[in-house]
Amino acid sequence: MSERRPFHRPQPRDWWARPPYLAYTLRELSGVAVALYAAILLAGLVCLWRGPEAFGVYRRVLASDWSLLVHLGLLAGVLWHVVTWFQILPKTMPKLILRGQPVPPRQVTTIALLLALVCSTGLLVVVIAIGALS
Amino acid sequence: MTHITIHRGAPKRSIAPVFWLLFGAGGMLSALFGPALIILTGIMLPRGWGLPASFFDYPHVLAFARHPLGKLLLLAVIALFLWHGAERIFLTLKDMRAGTLSVLRMLTYGVAAVLTLATIALLLAIGF
Repeated sequence: MSERRPFHRPQPRDWWARPPYLAYTLRELSGVAVALYAAILLAGLVCLWRGPEAFGVYRRVLASDWSLLVHLGLLAGVLWHVVTWFQILPKTMPKLILRGQPVPPRQVTTIALLLALVCSTGLLVVVIAIGALS
Repeated sequence: MTHITIHRGAPKRSIAPVFWLLFGAGGMLSALFGPALIILTGIMLPRGWGLPASFFDYPHVLAFARHPLGKLLLLAVIALFLWHGAERIFLTLKDMRAGTLSVLRMLTYGVAAVLTLATIALLLAIGF
């Protein structure tokens, strides 16, 4: 038994549901949306492996209104992830210095968000173009 | 003069950077392409909005999953997204003191590991 008896500041059990920590909790919750989307894709892979009949069921489930609602919710969660991910990017990457001047964090976030916009719209445009040309 | 030799074992290596790498890769991939992927596979493909309805047919999707590039894409998206979510959920539950660390690791990293292996097995079983 250690003689050390450090002081622990009392902390309510639901600290994570209160500001200012709520913002952190909501940011971390976006990870649930990302993982759920992966699980939906994995379920599709299972149905694909089981055969045409199982894949037909997967298609019907994904075409339902419930699925549309779920995916709109996931989209909202992932968009929140996009914004918060690039807000913390200046803190997680090495300091960026261009022409002897440090790039302000806000500018890093803006540029990264624009890059994300280009990537996502680019992917959509490419897939739609493939669909239109085939 | 006395010589003191200190015997130290090799510094203990942490496995944490591996999880951080998977977390970061999944976070970046989902931040750059996640919205488009959800719109494509969750909304446009199943409803035939803006894309040929045949794109979501069994033969088309099977051909995609049988192509090496398709396999690579599916594995990257599914596995990295899962590891990203697992790391976030693990750290948050740890901060909430929701359980002992080994239980939380099993529930997050453990699930991500099992599902990653399942994805690899399925992609191999689907064939080339």
